[in-house]
Amino acid sequence: MQVKVLSARFDIPDAHKIEVAKENGAYSTLEKVFSMQPVEVIELVKQSGLRGRGGAGFPTGLKWSFLPKNNTKPVYLAVNSDESEPATFKDRYILVRDPHMMIEGIIICCYAIGSHDAYIYIRGEYTTQVKALQAAIDEAYAAGYLGASVDGKEYRLDVTVHRGAGAYVCGEETALLESIEGRKGQPRSKPPFPAVEGLYGCPTIINNVQSIASLPFILTNGPDAYKAYGTEKSPGTHLFGISGLVKKPGMYELPLGLPILEVIEKVAGGLLEGRKLKGIIPGGSSTPVQTPEEAQDLTLDYESMAAHKTMFGSGGIVVLDDTVDIVKLVENLIHFYHHESCGQCTPCREGLGWMLKIIKKIVRGDGTTADIDLLRELCDNIEMKTVCVLSAACTMPVRSYLNKFRHEFEAYVKSDTSCQTAM
Amino acid sequence: MAEKVKLFVNGQEVEVESGKNLIDAIGAVGIEIPHLCYHPALGADGNCRMCLVGIEDGRPPLVPACKTMAVEGMKVQLDTEKIKKIQRDIMELELINHPIDCPICDQAGECKLQDYYMQYDGQKSRMTVPPVAKAKHMDFGAGVVHDQERCVLCARCVRFTRLITKTGELGIVNRTDAARVTTFPGRPLANRYALNVVDLCPVGAMTSKDFRFKQRAWFLTKSESVCHGCSKGCNIYIDHNKEKYQDDIIYRFRPRLNQQVNGYFMCDAGRMTYKLENDNRLNSAQVAGKETNINDAIETLRRAFSQAKKTVLIVSPNCSLEQMLAVKRLAATYNAVLSGYSDGYIKKGDGDDFLIQDDKSANRAGLALLDIESSKSGFEAALAGADLLVSFQNDLCRSLTDAELTKIQETTKLVYLSSYKDRFSEIASITLPVAAYSEDTGTIINTDNILQRYGAAVIKNVPAFNLIRVVNLLGGEFKSHEEALTDLSATIAALNNIDLKHIPSEGIALTDKEVSNVAA
Repeated sequence: MQVKVLSARFDIPDAHKIEVAKENGAYSTLEKVFSMQPVEVIELVKQSGLRGRGGAGFPTGLKWSFLPKNNTKPVYLAVNSDESEPATFKDRYILVRDPHMMIEGIIICCYAIGSHDAYIYIRGEYTTQVKALQAAIDEAYAAGYLGASVDGKEYRLDVTVHRGAGAYVCGEETALLESIEGRKGQPRSKPPFPAVEGLYGCPTIINNVQSIASLPFILTNGPDAYKAYGTEKSPGTHLFGISGLVKKPGMYELPLGLPILEVIEKVAGGLLEGRKLKGIIPGGSSTPVQTPEEAQDLTLDYESMAAHKTMFGSGGIVVLDDTVDIVKLVENLIHFYHHESCGQCTPCREGLGWMLKIIKKIVRGDGTTADIDLLRELCDNIEMKTVCVLSAACTMPVRSYLNKFRHEFEAYVKSDTSCQTAM
Repeated sequence: MAEKVKLFVNGQEVEVESGKNLIDAIGAVGIEIPHLCYHPALGADGNCRMCLVGIEDGRPPLVPACKTMAVEGMKVQLDTEKIKKIQRDIMELELINHPIDCPICDQAGECKLQDYYMQYDGQKSRMTVPPVAKAKHMDFGAGVVHDQERCVLCARCVRFTRLITKTGELGIVNRTDAARVTTFPGRPLANRYALNVVDLCPVGAMTSKDFRFKQRAWFLTKSESVCHGCSKGCNIYIDHNKEKYQDDIIYRFRPRLNQQVNGYFMCDAGRMTYKLENDNRLNSAQVAGKETNINDAIETLRRAFSQAKKTVLIVSPNCSLEQMLAVKRLAATYNAVLSGYSDGYIKKGDGDDFLIQDDKSANRAGLALLDIESSKSGFEAALAGADLLVSFQNDLCRSLTDAELTKIQETTKLVYLSSYKDRFSEIASITLPVAAYSEDTGTIINTDNILQRYGAAVIKNVPAFNLIRVVNLLGGEFKSHEEALTDLSATIAALNNIDLKHIPSEGIALTDKEVSNVAA
């Protein structure tokens, strides 16, 4: 089931070094790219059907074409390496094992969108990754792939690495821009969208590491070769992070469209001995949970996820077995999103704190059925009333647990009643 | 006039100004969209989420009204169940961590949370867990006291210090419900407009140290007036109250919107001049150091006028046009010399590029309009041989040194008609109390040539005579303020075409020609 498209050089020793990467094909597409017109590159990426790998799955080529025509301002590329969605661990492999694939992708993207300055926003906790990335960028400068003249062509491109300070919300594209600009990482209201008014008020494209890293393969082998993987609407491959209670958790590159249960069984080695599947988080902590029944016909692509009222997300699959306490999972989940709320909008700022206190009350054994109902109602009251989707990233999964595993919450409420009586 | 667009609110067609956001555009025709963070002077931040409205057939269907411009044909939904529920939900979330300490909160009665709770929420609390505890009564400096628990994090105050004063003392630290407004350690609020954050705060989080716990907002009478602190003439509300068995007392000044003059704001120093109207007032007439009945004092002064060989009248640049004209006519009656010398009212270099002016008088432009000579040399020439100097509210101690004054005193009798006790009232041999501007009505011209009217706000238990009446009793021709106004219109060419009895509340911008008194 596994394929080697993005991860082709991951297992080659020292592939993070430019000589080894080059021996194995890195930077070989640049000649072709610079012989094309930028619009042709955009067209080709559109044809490949590549969708944004940060979580939303927006078609990458289409995003690029939103840049204003007759623009006189500089255009920026911001590469989102904040990778902070819990259960997501794919971009870190690219950053450490094959950073030159991403740098080559940055060159391709910048050429296509007419940008001469790219920023890589990397999460502060990625200390190993930032070292590897900076080393690779330094190598690329030394080798003439970055700087005043990219690959000997009349094209300047500078790449700056900007380290975040650990806020989850800085993975939201406009909070990311605020953070690069030196302000508190708080999402901006849209419109204006970053493609029109982004970094320093200039048109800006923000792409995920994996989206950018997919470009060299698409440009080298053509859109059809990319579309040979995956489904019609979800072409290509994806680095899936499979974690939770499976025998072989890890990062696996798979074409899109595979049945999720089969992947868990065959790729991740299946559940631990004697355990029963309770649920699957399909694409990072913010995606609604799937019950084993729902997962029967769930495949790893955008369409199937949407049909199941969940999301493909960032490809971070978490397997939950019968030992998992859903109520405590939800407590952990709300704790995270409450902690990471930027505090800008009222519903998210006040609401997530309230939800956390309610779930703690339930876990403590002091909860009532009314508390469960209130928690469920708050999900509706908070969601989509805010500038960004951070609050929805909390309320969507919480709602799914409350709907699908309500009996577990009720058990907490009931056991408490008996406790109180016993006292 | 701005272009108009037609749009629909709750299915009803309304015509509004284009180029405005929905809150302002629809608000101007009397339809309220609740909001906490938006303020016209500070722009749209979009954080409170109280102004979310539905747009029928819109993409997206739910938008913050503060960030959405009014466009032709737009179908705005405010009364749908969905929008009403959102407003209820946001209010619930605003209030869960709010202390709801209205009984001890200064903002009560003029609080957006209270108003919106009554209008859009009205539900019982469902909060069964402890609220977030934050710091209370923090001294932010500049007379501002902050309560973090009452704060709704609308960031109006933060934006004020960043966008308006550009001093940036305030910021919001922390994320999530631990977010709070604070100052940097050791860097309190230190700008001359800081108290505006108290007005800007939609709730009781920012309170004025000076006003705290003094009055409930609903007892205050809010009278329109014009600040006399400097020549800007910021429009204000005089908030005053006459409690039972007490005198009518002013408790605070607040800025009143006038886009032509001061916008939404006023300076802290001007705000505090309310104290001058309450305290240290000249309440009784004195003749040669002895308290005297006002009528007797006036009679004494009349005699002094008729006995004097040469009389000099000096009028204050704070006097209204009507008062100046009355004094000017009085000078003519007694064949006295009139001066407007008042250099001491100008504090060079004190002004800034926002509201504060060097000139600490309200109507210096009026002296010029009425052609009242105001130079020091003119004043000194006038004094030569004079044995009577009558000051109409002009505190000469501001303009002259003690030595100069002593020298004048040797040959000249000093008379002072004033509202306030000051150094000049100590040395004058006759003092007569007159009404202060908060108790009187008048017309003044500010530094930008805006003609403005203020009305009497305060009625004291024992009202002082107003200056025009005193002048009349001294032999002046105007029996009332109205007579002076009529005369102004008739005799001052520049004002011929202006209906002085109906000056609009935003004032009238005079042209340079008008101010230099050239007939239109």
